[in-house]
Amino acid sequence: MVCLSGIGLTHALKLFIRWHAWLSLPPAAMLGRVAIATLALSIASYLLTLGMSELVYGSPVAPIAQAFYQRLTVGGQLRNQFIYMVIVHGGWVALYLAFAMQRHRYRAEVRQAQLGEALQAAELRLLKSQLNPHFLFNALNGLRSLIADDPTRARDAVTQLARLLRYTLASGDDDLVSLERELEMVDDYLALESLRLADRLGVERDIEAAARGVRVPAMLLQTLVENSIKHGIAELKPGGTLKLSARVAGGQLLLRVENPRPVDSGGEPAGGVGIRNATERLRLLFGARASLHLDLSRPGLASAEVRLPA
Amino acid sequence: MKALVVDDEPLARRELKRLLADFPAVQVVGEAGNIDEARVAIASLAPDVVFLDIQMPGGTGFDLLDQLDRVPRIVFTTAYDHYAVKAFDVNALDYLLKPIEPERLATALRKLEAGVTEPTARDARLDQLFIRDGHRCWFVPLREVSLFSAEGNYVRLLWGKERPLLGRSLAALEARLDPQRYFRANRSQIVNFDFIQQVELGDGGRLHVQLRDGPEIEVSRRQARLFRARATVI
Repeated sequence: MVCLSGIGLTHALKLFIRWHAWLSLPPAAMLGRVAIATLALSIASYLLTLGMSELVYGSPVAPIAQAFYQRLTVGGQLRNQFIYMVIVHGGWVALYLAFAMQRHRYRAEVRQAQLGEALQAAELRLLKSQLNPHFLFNALNGLRSLIADDPTRARDAVTQLARLLRYTLASGDDDLVSLERELEMVDDYLALESLRLADRLGVERDIEAAARGVRVPAMLLQTLVENSIKHGIAELKPGGTLKLSARVAGGQLLLRVENPRPVDSGGEPAGGVGIRNATERLRLLFGARASLHLDLSRPGLASAEVRLPA
Repeated sequence: MKALVVDDEPLARRELKRLLADFPAVQVVGEAGNIDEARVAIASLAPDVVFLDIQMPGGTGFDLLDQLDRVPRIVFTTAYDHYAVKAFDVNALDYLLKPIEPERLATALRKLEAGVTEPTARDARLDQLFIRDGHRCWFVPLREVSLFSAEGNYVRLLWGKERPLLGRSLAALEARLDPQRYFRANRSQIVNFDFIQQVELGDGGRLHVQLRDGPEIEVSRRQARLFRARATVI
C-alpha cells in the first residue's frame, strides 16, 4: 500500500514536472520547485499512509513498522515515519531528476545540432536562390539594349537593380521587415522582369492597408513572386497576369500569389526548392503559427498562400 | 551570311541585332520569339546561322534542334545556361554569354565565316543532324556517318567511335539523304559510299560490303543490282 501510493504520487510529480517543463528552468529555480514539491509529496504520502493504516489496522503506524520502532513512543514513531517518507521520496525524485536532466540535456544538444545544420543549409540555399544569376544576367542584357533605346528607362532600371541587390545582400535569414518594405522590393523586381517579358507580364495588386505594417520574413514574398514568373508566366508564350493580395483577418496575415502556368508542366513540381526553403524559414521563425501552401490542384493555375501571425 | 535571331525577350533580340549591325558580312534575315516561330522562319528563310536562346516559353533551343531536318550552324546565346550547353556533349558548337561582348561575338563570327565560305566545309555544315541521346547531344555531319541501322522505329548511327541513336525512322531519314552518297544496302541498313573499303560477291547474287573501321554489311540481292549500277557510275 505504502509502496503503491508512493509510486503513484511520484509518477504524478513526474508528469507535473514534464507538464510545466521544469527541466527547461534555470537550475536554482528548478531545484527550489522540486524540493517544495517533494516535501509536499512526502507530507501527502505520509498522511495517506497514516490514514490507510488507521483504517486497516486501527492505529496510524502499521504493525510491521511498530515492530521496528519498538522502543519509541507513538510520537517518535510518527516522526520517524515522516523522516522515512521524506528520505524515500526525496531519493526517488532525486534519482529520477538526475536521469531526466541528463536525458533532457542530451536531447537539447541533438536538437541544437540539427537546428544549426538546417539553418546553415537554409542560409546557403537562400544565398544561392536570392542571387538568381539567370535573372541578373538577363536583366543586365536587357539593360544594355535599353541604354541605346531608352536612356531614361535604362537609368531607372539601374536604380531598381541596385536597390534590389542591396536589399538582397542586406537581408538575413531571420530578418523581419514590414510588408510595405518587402512590397517596394517586389515592385522593383517586377519592373525589371517587365523589361524582359515586356507585355507578357501583367500584375494585379490587392493590398489591404492594415496588412502593410505586418512584419514578414525578408525575401519571402519575393521568392513566391519569382517562382510564379519563373515556373508560370515566363513559361507561357502569351505570358499572363500575376495576382498579389494581402489581407489581415483573425490576427493573421494572409498573403496570396496567383499565376497562370503551363497545363502540361508535369515532372517536377513548380518551384520545388524555393517553396521548400520558404516553408523551412517560416517553420524556424514562427513554428506552427505560420504556414505556406502551394495549390497546384487547378490545371493551368498556381496559387501560393502564406499565413503569418499579424 | 544569313542570320536568324531566336530569343523570347524583345530587348535581347534588339541588342543582338544592334551588335550584329557592326558586321557587314552578316545579314539578319529574321527573328523569332519562340521555337514554333523559329521552325517556320528556318524553313522559309534558310539562314546560314541561327543565334539561339536556350530557355524559351513553349520549348527550349534543344527542342527546336530536335525538330529540324536540316540544322543550320547554331550559336547558342544564353544568360546562364552555358552549363547546360557544356553538360551536353555538344561538338562543333559555339555559345555566347549574355550580355554579349562585342569582341567575343567577332570571334564567333570569324569562326563561322571560315566554315561557311569553304565549300566542302559548307556542305558538311549544312548537312548535319542534331541528335539528343539521353544526356548527350551531338551535331553529326552526315558525311562522317558510315552506317545507319534501323533499331525499331529509330536509327543507330555509326559515327567514328560514337553510336548515337536518332529518334526517327530509317525511311524518314533516307528521304533526306543524298542518294549520290548513301545507299540502302538492305531492309534495315543504309551505308555511306565513302566508307566502303571492299566488296565481295556472296551467295545468290548477294554482296558483302566491308566498311572502313566498321562491320561487314550484306547487300540484299535486289539492292545488289542497283549497287553494281551505281558503283560503275562512281
